[in-house]
Amino acid sequence: MNYNWNWGIFFDASPEGNGTYADMLLSGLMWTIVTALCAWVIAFCLGSVIGVLRTLPSKTANAIGTAYVELFRNIPLLVQMFLWYFVLPELLPQRLGDAVKQMPDAPFYTAVVCLGFFTASRVAEQVRAGIQALPRGQRMAGTAMGFTVAQTYRYVLLPNAYRIILPPLTSEFLNNLKNTSVALTIGLLELTARARSMQEFSFQVFEAFTAATILYVIINLCVVTAATFLEKAVAIPGQR
Amino acid sequence: MLSNFDFSVILTSLPYLFGQGMVFTVSLTAMAAAGGVVFGTLLAMARLSGIPGLWHVAKGYVELCRSLPLVLVIFWFYFLVPYIGAYLTGSSTPIQVGAFPSALITFIAFEAAYFAEIMRAGIQSIPKGQTAAAQALGMNYWQTMGNVVLPQAFRNMLPLLLTQTIVLFQDTSLVYVLSLTDFMGAASKVAQRDGRLVEMYIFAALVYFAVCFTASFLVRRLQRRVAIIR
Amino acid sequence: MTSSPMPAPTVTTPAVDADHAPKDDGLQPGSLIAGAQKAAPGETMIAIDAISKWYGEFQVLTNCTTAVAKGEVVVVCGPSGSGKSTLIKCVNALEPFQKGQITVAGTKVLDKATNLPKLRSRVGMVFQHFELFPHLTITDNLTIAQRKVLKRGAEDARKRGLDLLARVGLSAHAHKYPGQLSGGQQQRVAIARALAMNPVVMLFDEPTSALDPEMVGEVLDVMVELAKEGMTMMVVTHEMGFARKVADRVIFMDRGEIVEDARKEDFFGSPRSERAQTFLSKILQH
Repeated sequence: MNYNWNWGIFFDASPEGNGTYADMLLSGLMWTIVTALCAWVIAFCLGSVIGVLRTLPSKTANAIGTAYVELFRNIPLLVQMFLWYFVLPELLPQRLGDAVKQMPDAPFYTAVVCLGFFTASRVAEQVRAGIQALPRGQRMAGTAMGFTVAQTYRYVLLPNAYRIILPPLTSEFLNNLKNTSVALTIGLLELTARARSMQEFSFQVFEAFTAATILYVIINLCVVTAATFLEKAVAIPGQR
Repeated sequence: MLSNFDFSVILTSLPYLFGQGMVFTVSLTAMAAAGGVVFGTLLAMARLSGIPGLWHVAKGYVELCRSLPLVLVIFWFYFLVPYIGAYLTGSSTPIQVGAFPSALITFIAFEAAYFAEIMRAGIQSIPKGQTAAAQALGMNYWQTMGNVVLPQAFRNMLPLLLTQTIVLFQDTSLVYVLSLTDFMGAASKVAQRDGRLVEMYIFAALVYFAVCFTASFLVRRLQRRVAIIR
Repeated sequence: MTSSPMPAPTVTTPAVDADHAPKDDGLQPGSLIAGAQKAAPGETMIAIDAISKWYGEFQVLTNCTTAVAKGEVVVVCGPSGSGKSTLIKCVNALEPFQKGQITVAGTKVLDKATNLPKLRSRVGMVFQHFELFPHLTITDNLTIAQRKVLKRGAEDARKRGLDLLARVGLSAHAHKYPGQLSGGQQQRVAIARALAMNPVVMLFDEPTSALDPEMVGEVLDVMVELAKEGMTMMVVTHEMGFARKVADRVIFMDRGEIVEDARKEDFFGSPRSERAQTFLSKILQH
């Protein structure tokens, strides 16, 4: 095969004029991480609420939770990204819509909100599963102590459920991180997008993608390691 | 605003959206799922084989795929496949591969990692006694796997495999980044040509929702039936 | 009614070497219900009035009526599936019921105006599977509801909790988690946790049936002591030895109905119903 490898390319100046190709990739990595973290805040909070709704005895609460999960799980992320970015501003009142369109860093905010809402539906499913995995007697014991429903969740059910679902939540976090790459379609300059532009500028396809691949693998390892520490830190003595 | 929502743009583009776009999406999904399950099962067997080297490679492959975003993998294969083709045919220049085969190879290779994890759990869920019984009857590894373990594992995991296929169906929309004409690609081409983004994207969302919601509803029903029979 | 509670002696702090040699002192002398709210003697604490309950089409309780007076110990027995656990869970509305009324210390359970959390905080409940909160230390298990429901100060709650923990002989385990204790120890903590709320009545839902046989005694000891101190108790159990020793009355249930409701002496002497006789002969064979 005649492909001209050039691993020195990373230290060449990028045509954008502010640093090397390596700097370009690292700035992409930064956007990937920041977007993933911000989206996760939304996903975790909203997902917890939705997940709890699905475990309440109220039929209405259940229906709202189920509707949310079904809606956000059954539309491809790419389509959701376009709905938030292209469609929503058109449906808002004109002045508000224009303001949204002219917002600086609009792709970033859109990606955060879109990923947050999308991942929330997945977090919700995990939270629901975690709560339902607890012995039925725990809810009863909380209730029998005189806790209100909110207190039973706050002091008894959620602390245990989160511990159970820590491993699947870690993998949802990683999915969320990887999904930030979908936002390149609305112009977010995250890691995959930067690797792609490096390829377009320099024609060194495989160097660019190899570098991106290695960076993704490294963040994955960091997250998995951090999650292992977290699991140890919150493990309850005496439990299997 | 919705007051100037134009239904006619959807109506006139229906043949294009479904005749080309949806056909592409569905065939890509079906073929990638079939290929992914086969390749994934082999990966799972390799990973569980305990053969040094082999299981390391299988594990490494699965974990690598699972730590990369699909979009990056799509780009990887888009550029890599012509070189692989050249290598296989001994050609000195990269071989141009059509959009569909390129996408198909990408999705089989990528989704196999996810199917492999499902099949691995499925194989592990079959009691050791089943393998022992098959071996006691004189079956070798491939006979045991083919006649006893895999049929049961496949059956137990069917709901999960189908759910993953629904995810795959949604994931195929990402071939948009290569400007291919899958359903979403078709919708966005019409949207940009006619300047009708609102109509086309909402319509695309509705279609995806209808298909995936119905499919996952059916999978849940199947799951309940499988659970009862077991 | 038996002895009135003695004033609580001052708590001795756990021994310094407790960490190295966790002790299980068993039941300690002193009162378990010091400071419990007292009602006038003879007052009805639990009135169960013609309640019926359905799960969909299936009727699990049929027209059950009984009452428990202040200081009385009532044992509820019957074959499995007879509705005895369901009945006791109706008392603090853990299980909803469709017909009839239950009144606990003058408060109607089936009434929109009733503050259920408040009612429940005055009714202690002990579960078959202990249901300690696994993520909290023993001390936190004993104090959390005192602080969050009764709004007691952290120090008061802690003192009350550790006091009761000492009384059930588990002071050395205050800093541990439930998973590190044996079943019998967990159940004693669960009783202490319920008592920490100063309940006016205590409900026990098969408190010993999930325990290994050698641990049943230590839990029953605590319950016997509690009964002697005059706590109003409703106990679902198969432990007929316990019933003989401390029960005032025995209720026998079968298929969702109260078949027999008799003084202990009458029940064990000559049960009137055939079903109760069969049940007793089966249970007492062992």
